Amino acid sequence: MKKVSMYTLSTCPWCRKAKQFFSQRHIPFDDIDYDLADEATQERIMRELDAEGASGFPFVRIGDQVVLGYQPDRYAKLLASP
Amino acid sequence: MSDFVKAMRAAEVAPGGMKTVELNGHQLVICNCDGTFYAIDRRCGHMNAPLEMGTLDGTIVTCAMHCAQFDVTTGEALSGPVPGNVGNEVPPPRIGAFLTNVARLMEHVRTEPIGCYPAKVEDEWVWLAV
Amino acid sequence: MSTDSRKKALRHFFQRVVEPLGFKFTPDAELADFLLEQEVKLEIKHGIPFCPCQPIRHDRARDVQIVCPCIPFHRKHFDAMKRCWCGLFVHQGVTDPASLPQLSAKDLGLE
Repeated sequence: MKKVSMYTLSTCPWCRKAKQFFSQRHIPFDDIDYDLADEATQERIMRELDAEGASGFPFVRIGDQVVLGYQPDRYAKLLASP
Repeated sequence: MSDFVKAMRAAEVAPGGMKTVELNGHQLVICNCDGTFYAIDRRCGHMNAPLEMGTLDGTIVTCAMHCAQFDVTTGEALSGPVPGNVGNEVPPPRIGAFLTNVARLMEHVRTEPIGCYPAKVEDEWVWLAV
Repeated sequence: MSTDSRKKALRHFFQRVVEPLGFKFTPDAELADFLLEQEVKLEIKHGIPFCPCQPIRHDRARDVQIVCPCIPFHRKHFDAMKRCWCGLFVHQGVTDPASLPQLSAKDLGLE
């Protein structure tokens, strides 16, 4: 099973949907709400987002692939692929 | 509810305009919103500035002093004063202490809704129930 | 002032900004209401109605680019998606906002 982690915002409905996608399929994931994190964590998250050319949330990592935004079809595809 | 009292000639307030009047000890502003008249308290719900010196855009009045905004049909406060965010540049020391004191007081200042009174036009006069 | 009053004010002022840009509020009323409510909370916290789905970097020059409506700063990207990032606004011709996927500028080949 690929490891799933995400960076989200507590104010963002698409982030909520992304979390629901995985929890409804009983797929465990790590997540950090950027807006509720401390300064050091926020800086680290922003470095990762900048490295991927991302400017919004959700930021979802499935295995070694990054998906920017709420894209359930891509999540499903990446989970199914080897 | 009070009886309607003659306030001013409707022609005295141009469409999109505002004019102040005092009736029964109340300072009010009459607003002409595209031919429909509304009456509100004269004093801004933020820091009491006279609203007729502000601007009327549709049914929203913006106070000239700090840009607080109110719906003239209900008196609801729609916007607080600006700026809402002053950034975090450090002010020069000689005014820093003054600004800190002002900030402490300003924390207690709120933008409250304003009074809104029934208005009608009859025989070319604006009548208000105050 | 109440959250509802402030939401009403934001609707009124945002409408006037986005319309000349070819956008309108999303027909998904529940989504619009939720996002506006988040913006009111962000405005109470930060003094500015930031986008609820983009990061506040505490860098004025960059944060100005996510003050709602942030369409002018992301014109090409949002025009390509026919919606803004958080989905509060969609192109005027859109009737089915759920059909508009959320795609990054990178995914759209705009970077």
